[in-house]
Amino acid sequence: MATNAMDRRRINGPQRTVEPIYSKDTDPFASGRKDSRSLDQVRPIYMKTGPLSTQANDLSASSAAAASGSAFYEQGNIRVSCAVYGPRQGRKSNTRMGSFDCDFRYAPFSCSWKKRSHVRGADEKEISLMLEHAIAPAIRLDAYPKACIDAFVTVIESDGKSATIAAAINCISAALVDAGIEMYDSVAACSMGLWESQWVADCSQAEENVSSSTMIIAYMPSADEVTYMLQHGKTSPDQTDQAVQTCINMCTRVYAVLCRGLQASISE
Amino acid sequence: MTSLILSPAEQDFITRGVEGGFRADGRGSLDRRQVTLRTNMISQANGSARCRMGHLNVGTDVLVGIKAEVNTWTPGEPDNIGSIVCNVECSPSAAQEFEGRGADELNIELTQLLDRILNGPQSGICLEKLCIIPKQAYWVLHIDALVLDVKGGIVDTLIWATRAALLSTKLPRVVVESIEDEDGNLQSEFDVVDDAEDQIAVEGVNNLPLTVTFNQIGKRYVIDASEQEEAATQARITVAVSPSMDICAVQKSGILRGFSPSLLTEILHTACKIAREEFSRFKDTFAAVLSNQSSNEANTGSTFLGAF
Repeated sequence: MATNAMDRRRINGPQRTVEPIYSKDTDPFASGRKDSRSLDQVRPIYMKTGPLSTQANDLSASSAAAASGSAFYEQGNIRVSCAVYGPRQGRKSNTRMGSFDCDFRYAPFSCSWKKRSHVRGADEKEISLMLEHAIAPAIRLDAYPKACIDAFVTVIESDGKSATIAAAINCISAALVDAGIEMYDSVAACSMGLWESQWVADCSQAEENVSSSTMIIAYMPSADEVTYMLQHGKTSPDQTDQAVQTCINMCTRVYAVLCRGLQASISE
Repeated sequence: MTSLILSPAEQDFITRGVEGGFRADGRGSLDRRQVTLRTNMISQANGSARCRMGHLNVGTDVLVGIKAEVNTWTPGEPDNIGSIVCNVECSPSAAQEFEGRGADELNIELTQLLDRILNGPQSGICLEKLCIIPKQAYWVLHIDALVLDVKGGIVDTLIWATRAALLSTKLPRVVVESIEDEDGNLQSEFDVVDDAEDQIAVEGVNNLPLTVTFNQIGKRYVIDASEQEEAATQARITVAVSPSMDICAVQKSGILRGFSPSLLTEILHTACKIAREEFSRFKDTFAAVLSNQSSNEANTGSTFLGAF
């Protein structure tokens, strides 16, 4: 806005101004993927069980408040940590089956898209529910009557919303194994994004921003059961079919990595 | 979703029935209950609908009201689209466990599901048309659903009611005037026309998806489960399908089991097949509602309750 009264003491800008021309958001797929992965390649996974101090077997050790099992999981830039408590006395008595509760939280500094507040948002509550639905089918809840098992997941760093959820599922699986909870099988999860009618595995945030739909699948390879599926965005039925098949294959590969990590943690 | 507890005998009866293709109320495994629909019964809202699946006293009942509001644009929001804000609330009148904070989890699950289906290009609603002046003002559609009664199949009822409410939503017409100020910049101003006759429908509502929810009981599945069947359900999957037969959203829930990959593929294909019938059924029901209501304009309590 130009004013008629000119202020001589200041360096005056021109009367008319134009916005600078910014370079267009570069297409993350323009020349292959940024991190030179192939389209169906998951980011490298690092996993460690028991990073947190765990409950000692003898009760005299006065560490009753410590977690029964924990895990740390890394997938590219994603860092997730999880602690499992239980089986411990359930809040509801007289239940034939145990309950599995999950508490998912983003650390305030974990997201690039916005600063998280300390209050749990609706999205975090929903993701907690998703994780419960994804993991609970794997746990032998009938083996734990009147008990509850709690998993607390903290996202330390996230890169891609659906990839973070998938990472959280893998992390909880590992932590449950570390806690010695009876399970039918470990759950492995992976996510994909649809970009110009092509499914791209394990999207980073930049890739997810340009993809038209996303899919998360959690799968138990030995039991051959899809424990969770979420699709967001429009696809043709054939594309969904294709995504389910590809996701299941990738989950099997992730599962192999998880198992190797778990084996390594036992032999340590 | 409600805390109905089945005895092992009941559980077994339902499971074996479903596996053999029989259901307690005589329906086939892919049949829906009777649907009752009413629209525009709330005069304060821009659009509203009430939908009941099942008969009186044994059905799921959802009331949806849509209010439109003009919002001023703030930096950081997308430039040229309007927005949709969803909220689902389960009333304690539906079930005792919804009292206090008891319905919180279910409310969040349903709200996020509705948001996932409606907010974005997959819903078919033309969000660009909800923008009044780019970077200045846009329409916000507040979609508020109230679950009044729960007897199984809550998601599908919710989507039926929401679709009917959006189809009956009328927005006031907005006149945009552009004036050139002394520096030669275009300044836009808008005016909301306050005339009940001069209202326009939301663009793209005919492309809204419908959902089909499958409940896995034993080795097979049913759609539109009753309360008892829901209690026997091991896993549930909701598939949203658009009129162009594209899949708009898929969400699994249920903590007891997962789906085998082959069953999952079968369900996705069945969903598209059923959706075709669902859309024609919705169209017929909605047309019947409109013709009934035009003959009986006065929305008194008896018309509000009459069909329910």
